[in-house]
Amino acid sequence: MTEFDIPRRAALALVLAGISAPHLAEAQQASIDPLLYGPTDPNAKRGGKLTIGSLVEPPALDPFRQAADARVRVSVLMYQGLFYEDPTGVARPLLAEGATPGADGKSWTFRLRRGVKFHTGAAMTSADVKYSYDFMRNAANGSPGAGDLSSVASIEAPDDHTVVFHLVRPNAALPMTLTNKYGAVVPKGFLDDAQSGPRMNEISVGTGPFKLRQFRPNSTLVLERFADYWQPGLPYLDEVTFVTMPNSAAMVVGLQSRRVDLAMFSRPQDTQALANAPGVEVHRWPSLGQKSLDLDCKFGPLTDVRVRQAIALAIDKKVVMDAAVVGYGTVIGTMVAGMQQGWGVPLDQLANQKPDLDRARALLRAAGHANGVDIELTTIIGYDWMEPAALTIAEQLKRVDIRVTIRKLELGVWIRNFRAKEMGFTFNDWGTTPDPGLLYYRHFRAAPEGADFRNWNNARASALLDRGQETADPAQRRESYAAFQQLLAEEVPTIMLFSADLLTANRTRLKNYVQHGTGWYFGLAKAWVEG
Amino acid sequence: MRAVPGDIVGQMLGQTGSDRSAEAALRGFFGLDRPLWRQFLDWLWATLHGDLGRSWYRGSAVAGMVWDAFLVTAELALATLLLATLIGVPLGVLAGIVRGSRLDAAIQGVNLVGLSAPVFWLGLMLLVGASQLLDWSPPFAWSGPTEDFGENLANLVLPVVSLAMLQAAAYSQFVRGLMVEQLGRDYIRAARAKGMPPFDIYFRHALANVMIPLVTFMGLILVQILGGVVVIESLFSLPGLGRLILTGIQGRDYPVVQGALFFVVVIATTVNLGVDLLYGLLDPRLKP
Repeated sequence: MTEFDIPRRAALALVLAGISAPHLAEAQQASIDPLLYGPTDPNAKRGGKLTIGSLVEPPALDPFRQAADARVRVSVLMYQGLFYEDPTGVARPLLAEGATPGADGKSWTFRLRRGVKFHTGAAMTSADVKYSYDFMRNAANGSPGAGDLSSVASIEAPDDHTVVFHLVRPNAALPMTLTNKYGAVVPKGFLDDAQSGPRMNEISVGTGPFKLRQFRPNSTLVLERFADYWQPGLPYLDEVTFVTMPNSAAMVVGLQSRRVDLAMFSRPQDTQALANAPGVEVHRWPSLGQKSLDLDCKFGPLTDVRVRQAIALAIDKKVVMDAAVVGYGTVIGTMVAGMQQGWGVPLDQLANQKPDLDRARALLRAAGHANGVDIELTTIIGYDWMEPAALTIAEQLKRVDIRVTIRKLELGVWIRNFRAKEMGFTFNDWGTTPDPGLLYYRHFRAAPEGADFRNWNNARASALLDRGQETADPAQRRESYAAFQQLLAEEVPTIMLFSADLLTANRTRLKNYVQHGTGWYFGLAKAWVEG
Repeated sequence: MRAVPGDIVGQMLGQTGSDRSAEAALRGFFGLDRPLWRQFLDWLWATLHGDLGRSWYRGSAVAGMVWDAFLVTAELALATLLLATLIGVPLGVLAGIVRGSRLDAAIQGVNLVGLSAPVFWLGLMLLVGASQLLDWSPPFAWSGPTEDFGENLANLVLPVVSLAMLQAAAYSQFVRGLMVEQLGRDYIRAARAKGMPPFDIYFRHALANVMIPLVTFMGLILVQILGGVVVIESLFSLPGLGRLILTGIQGRDYPVVQGALFFVVVIATTVNLGVDLLYGLLDPRLKP
C-alpha cells in the first residue's frame, strides 16, 4: 500500500507554488488511511450490540441544516465529507482519495474514492459531491456551514471521480473545511424535496459506516451496521443504540447495572462513583473544546479595552478550572488544548494571562472607574460547570472592585443574544474542528466575512485571519495565527479559560474505543465488543 | 412562549451563520416571517380541521407524536392511579376506623412522609437504591407494552412507585377524613344500635357514601398526574407528554408545544366530564 500518492507533476507545481511537503502529506494521502477514525485493533472481532447513554439527544439528524453539537456527535457515523478531521489537526482523505491545490492556490482538485456506496445502494460519483457542496454553500438553503465555504466560487465535476473547487481567494484550510461537522455527500437530488430534512430522521442517505434504523423522540436512536461500507471489515459492531439519559446519576447506575456500555460525562465528579466499579473503566481524553468568558466590546464598561484587560488580569484561570471541573482539564491561553502544540502560542508569551491585581486596579483607574465597576455575568442553565466558575470569578473580580451580578439564562435565550451580538459579559462553551482558521475566522473576523459575535471589529485581526486562511505555507500560517493570538490576548474580546478533559466511562467488554477530541463518536467505527 | 426570546432558527444555526440570508431562509421556511396573529390563526384553522401540523425538528405529524407520547403518559398515570388506590384507600379506611389509635398515628406519619418527599428526590433514591442493593436499573430505552412487556414494566416500575407514594398518601388522608365524617353520622349510630356487624357498617354503608367524593378526588388526581409527570418522565427518560412539551419548549418547536397543550386540555376536560358522568352511576339521585 502506498502511503502517499502525489503525482510528480503536481508535486512540482506545488513546490513551485511554495507549498511544503508536510502540508502536502496532510491532503495527499491516498488509498485507505489506517488512521481514519482512530487506531485499528488487530484483535478486533465482528458482531455485537452496544448501548450508549447520552445526556443530550439530537433535535434532528439533518447534517445540512442542524448545527447542534448533539446532532454532529452521532451523524458523523452516518454521513461523511471528503476528509476526516484527525484530532491532531490533519485532514485525512475520507471520501476523497487525494487532493491537489492549484498553482495559484485558487483551486483544489479532489480525486474521489471509488467503490463508495450510499445507504440507498447507489454508487457515489462526482455529481453527488458537487450537488451536496453546492447545496451546503448556498446560504438560501439555511445551512450553518455555508459561511465556511464562502471562499468557494464554483464546483466542477469534470469526470465521475474528480471534483474541482474553484475559489474566490486561496483557502489553505479547505480540506479541513470539507470534513464532517456540517453537510456531507448525499445522493444528487435528495435535498430538492422541501421535506428532505425531516426525512433524514427516518432514513439515512449518507456513506458512513452505520445507517439509521430508528430515531424515537426523547428516547432512543438506533444505528445498524452498513453492510456495503467501503472500509473493508468496518464497522465491527452490528448495532449501536443511543439512549437519552435523564442525568449523570442514571448513567452511573446504567453502567453499574450493565444496561449501558459507554457514556460521556460532563462533570468529573460524576465519574468518581465509578472509580472502583467492577467491569467499568473511566478514561480522560484531551479536548478540542474550550470554556471561555466572552466580552461584548460594545457592552457598557467593556467598550474600554482597559476594563477588559483588568478583568483578564484579575482572573486566576487555574482556580476557576479547579472549581468548575475539579482540575480535570488544561488551562489555556488563546488556543484549545488539543491544538496548543501545533498552533498555540505559549502562555508565557501572551499578554494578560497571569493575575496582576495592582495592574488591574491601575487600568480601571485609568479607564475612569476609580470606584470600581458593576457588571452582570450570564451563565447558561444546564451547563453545570458555569455555576462554580461564576462564583469563583465573582470573588476574584471583587478583589479589584469589579462587582459581579450573576444571571442565569435559558439556552435558547442565550443563543438569541449571542447571535444578535448582544451577549454582554458571558460564559461560553464551544468546540472546534482542528484548524485555527475554523476556530477563529467566523467568531472574530469582522463582518461581512465573519460574524464577529463579540463586536470586536478589529481590522488588524481580520487581516491576520485573512492571511492565515489564504496562505498555503504552514510556517506563514503559523506566523499569522500566532500574531492573531497575541492580539487576541492583548485586546481581550474573549478570555479562554480552560479545555476540560473529555470523560468517558465504559464497560470493559468494549474494546478499542478512542474518544475524538471534538466529543463526536467517530471512534465507534473501529470499536468492538468482547463476548 | 412566543414572548421568550430566541426561536428555532437561532437554535439550528447556533454559534454559526454569519450570513443573514441563511437565517432569513429558515425563518421563511418555518413561516416565522409572518405576523404573530397570522401564524396563530393559521394554526387555529388547521387545528379546527383536525391538523395539528408537523414538528419543525422531526417533520413528523404532531398528532402522531402527541398520541405516541400520550400512550406512555397514560400508561404511567393509570398504573400510578391503580397503585395509589390499592395502597391509599385501604390505608385511609383503616385509619378512619381506628381513629385516634397508635395505628392511625402510624399511618398518618407514613402519609406525612409520602406527602413531604419530593417526587424527584424519591425517584432518584429509588434509582440509586435499586442499583446499589439489587444491582438493577431500568433499561431507560423505552419499549411499549406490545413491543416488549418485560422491558416496559422494568421501565415503569420505579416512576410508578415514586409517583404513587405521593398520591397514595394524599388518598389515604382524604379517605380517612371522609370515613371519620361518615362514621360520626346518625345513620351509622343507628346501624350500630341495631347490632349490624362492623364489616357491613364500614364497607357497605360508610365506604359506599365515601365513593362519590372519592371518584371526584380520583379525577382530580388523574389530571394532577397528567399535568405533573414532566418531572418523573424527565427523571426516568420516559418519552411521554411532559417530556414532549418540555423538549418542545426548549427547542422552540411551536407546533409540537401547541399541539400537545391542546391535547392536554382536551384530555383534562374529558376526564372531568367522565367524573361527572360517573356521579350518575354511583348515586341515582344525581341522574338528570
